[in-house]
Amino acid sequence: MKLLLVHTKAELITLLRTPGFLIPTMIFPSMFFLMFAAPNLKFVSAANYTTGSFMAFAVFTVTFFQFGVGTANERDNSWSSYTRTLPAPPIYRNLAKVITAAFLALLAASVLVGTSILTTPINIPLVRWPRIFLTLAAGGLMMGTLGTAIAYLVSPKAALPIANLIYLPMAYLGGMWMPIRFMPKLAQKISPYLPSRQWMELVWPAMTGGRWEITHWLALVSFTIAFALLAGWAQHHDERIRF
Amino acid sequence: MIASFDGVNKKLGRVHALVGVSLHVQPGELLALLGPNGAGKTTLVSLLVGLRSPDSGRVRLNDGDPRNPSVRRILGVTPQSTGFPPTLRVCEVVELVRAHYPKPLQISDALERFGLIELAHRSVSALSGGQARRLAVALAFVGNPRLVVLDEPTTGLDVESRRALWEQIKVFRKAGGTTLLTTHYLEEAEELADRVVLLARGKVVTSGSPNEIKRRVGLRQVHLQARALPQLDGVTKMEHREGHFIIWTHDSDALVRQLVTSGVDFADLEVLPVSLEEAFLAALNKEEMA
Repeated sequence: MKLLLVHTKAELITLLRTPGFLIPTMIFPSMFFLMFAAPNLKFVSAANYTTGSFMAFAVFTVTFFQFGVGTANERDNSWSSYTRTLPAPPIYRNLAKVITAAFLALLAASVLVGTSILTTPINIPLVRWPRIFLTLAAGGLMMGTLGTAIAYLVSPKAALPIANLIYLPMAYLGGMWMPIRFMPKLAQKISPYLPSRQWMELVWPAMTGGRWEITHWLALVSFTIAFALLAGWAQHHDERIRF
Repeated sequence: MIASFDGVNKKLGRVHALVGVSLHVQPGELLALLGPNGAGKTTLVSLLVGLRSPDSGRVRLNDGDPRNPSVRRILGVTPQSTGFPPTLRVCEVVELVRAHYPKPLQISDALERFGLIELAHRSVSALSGGQARRLAVALAFVGNPRLVVLDEPTTGLDVESRRALWEQIKVFRKAGGTTLLTTHYLEEAEELADRVVLLARGKVVTSGSPNEIKRRVGLRQVHLQARALPQLDGVTKMEHREGHFIIWTHDSDALVRQLVTSGVDFADLEVLPVSLEEAFLAALNKEEMA
């Protein structure tokens, strides 16, 4: 427990002392929301729905990059190989990273909700929040796992460009920026096969008070497991090459 | 036995980094692993601190597998001094490492010993090279370990810092601590070690007291100008070009005495130290030819 605490503390301190990373990460999804979504949101239902999309986008941004680029940078870092010689299993350090990313994701989502409250007629009853929270956490976990897999699959230098190459289309095609029906036909056809779209199919009902369809949960869990297996394999492979 | 290697082989890519290495570290001793760059010292250390596994053979730490984290509680290691997380302060880094050990030193005690007390609240990114090196070494001791592994601890340190660090290693040893030190300075092994193990091309070449090792690889070069030289004793290797001689010898004093008593006409006498790399090459070549 003490170890989890000190590792989490170190991660959080690092985050707070790099405002150049922290502030843009917090503001970017809200800025996008203000430019492209907020002006069109005249009704409560649309505001609720779209705020959900952009909250997921904020959580996606944080978890995907925190684990993707963050892990990739650590791969060649001599400090992280030193910490592996300390007498503690890696679980404490990894858990500390998950906690830090969760904290950051929650912060980014909160900034977005705040922005939405100030600029749109959003109105979400309190009882819906536990379901919203659950879907965001589940999706964040999935995207963090995907980020980790990419971090171990590609070279550290390629991690950022490749992450961007996956992140932007995934957000767009998943329906995080605009409703599916406004997208081009081809995009609409591809969309259902993407993890981001399956995630949105859980977020939207949570926002509007609709029912969940079990298939989307199954899809989300399956994607997460697949990404975790891929990450585990890639990490093992990477270690075999380097050590 | 606090640490042991038995018949250890390790390939890194296509390079045979370690070939059938057997090595035992006794409690309380200060063992220096001496060898030129690329001899396999760092690979050997990485096996002992749990970063790598051997391809074959066995590595034991305190009768356990060093890959098992709880076995490493008796172990203190130095990180590379260039890689500290740049956002943390000196005291925060020390605290983070300290939290991993059951009975660590007090933070202030650890900082004090390595002359870091005034730097406690400085960001590690603002440390000079020498200061960062001192912090790296302090981290090996902060957990109050029984075995400290120092991988080239004084590389890049000025003379004063090097002396100060040697003092701390001696204090640790007096209190019963065991040290495994890698170095490519013969002088460092001589100053500190009870026993020196010589590593070259992934193999243990020999081991012995610092004096014995020095006799083997402590070569000097004698440079001089002369038309011709008489037969000389104690010459490991000799090069000769246009009246300029370079003689490699273990005992330059004896060689100079021979030159003087032989009455040969010579000029521009110079005695130069030989780097460990060169001494190794000379010693190894001589053996291979013999």
